[in-house]
Amino acid sequence: MRHPSALRIFLKTIAARAYPRVVASFRNRTWVVTETLLPLIGTIAMIYVYRALHAPARYLGFVVLGGVLLAFWQNVIWAMATQFFWDRGAGNLELFAMAPTSLAAILLGMAFGGAYVSLTRSVAVLLVASILFGISYSTAGLLPALGIFVLTICALYCLGMLLASLFLFYQREAWQLADAMQEPIYFLSGFYFPVRSLGAVVGGVGSLIPLTLGLDAIRQLVLPGTTQFIPIRWEVLAIVVQIAGYALLSQVSLRYLERRAREDARLILRST
Amino acid sequence: MDTAVETRALRRVYRSRNQEVVALDGIDLLVRRGERFGVLGPNGAGKTTLIKILVTLLLPSSGEAFVDGLDVVHQFRELRHRIAMVSGGENVGFGMLKVKEQLWMFSQFYGMPSPAARRHITELLERLGLSEAADRRVSALSSGMRQKMNLIRGLITNPRILFLDEPTVALDVGAARDVRDEVRRWMAEDPSRTVILTTHYMMEADELCDRVAIVNRGRIVAQGTPAELKQQVQQDAIVDLQLTPGSRLLDALRAVGGVAAASVAEQDGIDRFSLQLSSDAALSGVMRVVEGSGRQIRGVQKREPTLEDAFVKLVGRGMAEEEQP
Amino acid sequence: MSAAIAQWRGFKAATRLGWEISSNWTRPLVFVLYSVLRPLSAAFILVVMYRVISGNAPGTAAYLAFLVSGVAFWSFVQYGFAGLSNGIVEDRGEYKMLKYVYTSPVHFYVYLLGRGLAQLASAVASALIVLVVATIVLRLPIDPLRVNYPLLLAASFLALLAVIGMAMAFGLLLLQAVDAHGYGELGSGVLYVISGAIFPIGVLPGILATIASFSPLVYWMELIRRSLLGPATIRMFPALSDGDVMLRLLVSTIGTLIVAHLVFTWADRLARRKGLIDMESNW
Repeated sequence: MRHPSALRIFLKTIAARAYPRVVASFRNRTWVVTETLLPLIGTIAMIYVYRALHAPARYLGFVVLGGVLLAFWQNVIWAMATQFFWDRGAGNLELFAMAPTSLAAILLGMAFGGAYVSLTRSVAVLLVASILFGISYSTAGLLPALGIFVLTICALYCLGMLLASLFLFYQREAWQLADAMQEPIYFLSGFYFPVRSLGAVVGGVGSLIPLTLGLDAIRQLVLPGTTQFIPIRWEVLAIVVQIAGYALLSQVSLRYLERRAREDARLILRST
Repeated sequence: MDTAVETRALRRVYRSRNQEVVALDGIDLLVRRGERFGVLGPNGAGKTTLIKILVTLLLPSSGEAFVDGLDVVHQFRELRHRIAMVSGGENVGFGMLKVKEQLWMFSQFYGMPSPAARRHITELLERLGLSEAADRRVSALSSGMRQKMNLIRGLITNPRILFLDEPTVALDVGAARDVRDEVRRWMAEDPSRTVILTTHYMMEADELCDRVAIVNRGRIVAQGTPAELKQQVQQDAIVDLQLTPGSRLLDALRAVGGVAAASVAEQDGIDRFSLQLSSDAALSGVMRVVEGSGRQIRGVQKREPTLEDAFVKLVGRGMAEEEQP
Repeated sequence: MSAAIAQWRGFKAATRLGWEISSNWTRPLVFVLYSVLRPLSAAFILVVMYRVISGNAPGTAAYLAFLVSGVAFWSFVQYGFAGLSNGIVEDRGEYKMLKYVYTSPVHFYVYLLGRGLAQLASAVASALIVLVVATIVLRLPIDPLRVNYPLLLAASFLALLAVIGMAMAFGLLLLQAVDAHGYGELGSGVLYVISGAIFPIGVLPGILATIASFSPLVYWMELIRRSLLGPATIRMFPALSDGDVMLRLLVSTIGTLIVAHLVFTWADRLARRKGLIDMESNW
């Protein structure tokens, strides 16, 4: 029997799954409030902490850049990693799992659909906070910083797929664990301070999260005077390795955990 | 290949920390291609578990299952191209999408070309009387319209085997009839299509299915055409007895000589007893018991046996009693 | 009497429900880890920020104590405000039971109060953990024997009443939204900025500082620090006595509760008129 090819289904699934996300952003514009104000307020709070401490101006820039990447981290956690929890409760997970498509395509569709909102969030944080608090950046490092930003996001999405496969296995725990991971990740990734402050060991552990190294590299490039954690070229290499590593791990994990979920009836049980 | 679905000694056990529940206990099933096959049984009989295994969402604990010749455990990726499932009471999808957008989205998970998908969706919406709702948001649909939309979702990709898991539950009479009519029409279009339907509505199985398997507590207690199953009670006289409420009477009636089976359901404040009598003579014994109970008779009627009567005889009690803990 | 008993039973059930929802999602050990890791990480972010700037320079411990005490008690607001307001929306959308509670004889305020208290109970452990760990590790000047417990408890009681009142009103407002995701956190985020939890409100620009001065949480934070740290603390209102600050807390709490009640009543009427109590958006 002839069927559409796996690649065709994969690509169509990404587009189709992204579609509701994109449509939702146009049909209900309240996300503009939550998706811009919320991260902005968090960023502003931390900026005022540094102000209260009379910190040098570049530290305000640390916070803003952390807020920019934070938006994508939030997208990965809430739009990818925990999405199967919501989909299972709504009964969608069964239909996705039954279709001749891959769960990875479903996840990528969700991620791409949410990327538009995340980008808006990031740009809002960057522009509004920078203007409000008079933060300036070095333009010499802008282009390479953008390149590192793209690589970091790729690695982050691969990590998101890995997390999603783990959360496929959990029910309410998934949401709570994602919520619990927020602050530890902010801490380990150095969202609000230079990673170097954490020391080599803690910083090393934090480097498993793509954001940590990406953020440090971007800061070194656009905020002169930033003390480096490790040289930029090593950080870029590490991120590239993470892309490959997390992509591979996520595929293995998704397949294995899907089978386990079929064994344990976790695809169909709808506890809340 | 003539066989659409085959299971051999299919077993499924659910284990939690404190207990073990045997949902399926050695199911042997054979469904031929082109059949409308019903799986009938009370809540908790194992119908949905059976369907979930056949549509590759659940692995069996032991035994084998083949759908369209493919092993549900090892060949599930290929199988998923050929099947679709529609469950009753589904609230799936995304509320902010329009009906036609939602249907298009699900069609893409099967790799269907968008123009063909849109054409097919328009056609199906018209057939099920949903054309005017095509541009309405899913969240604004009534339950009947939503279920019709769900059915369309199952039909768009032209599956070889369609699994319907209690598709008319919670629907009003009109909507349920529309769903059944569409299933019949869809089957008539292509004789190679197969439908597996689970239901606990006897009338639905009787009306819609070529063959029926009666499932109870994870086992098949009988299989056959509705006529064959009813034949098992054909020689019995079926008497409906309506009595005013009172003390428990069912056991006493079952104990009367000549009463092959008995069940009771309460409706509108009246207890409606359904008795299968091996001969008309048993009726006098029944009346003596009724007289002794002090209950008043509101109606007595002899009628043709139904699938429910066959169920009662095979299982030993009515559907409603089976569902009680 | 029987009406009062019914309300009391409803309150107990709501409290029990709130506690179960926030705690029974995992094994106890994982729950404990979650309860410990989250607040400690939030506190340590600020501690590291502080250390990065000031190092271990002498005379800076006061500001560290200011930071940590604010963060520790902020978990009450986070759980109480975001937790309760999100909980109302979850009861409608995820658990689909809001309509049953709403139409029961138990007054809706009583139910929400019970739910809110359960959230606050979850915050007690978080606050204690942060205070104890920070006092030991960072050698903060907190002596359990010298804490002004009556002041601390009285101030906390008033402030948390205000938090629950705000959360109830906000939660009812959220019923208007088809997609209410993130608003609870947004609300508590706004409060975070204007409450003096992690920096003195004097750092804020004029208009924000003025707005902050109407919030009961600012005075609560001030009294927490005065009761925990005594004269050693950095004061946001050095010219005001404890009694003056407590009076401001009382007045602002009353004002907040009045406004919250008005908003709640209006939002409730609106939700009923629009049929939103049992809305299923499946967004």
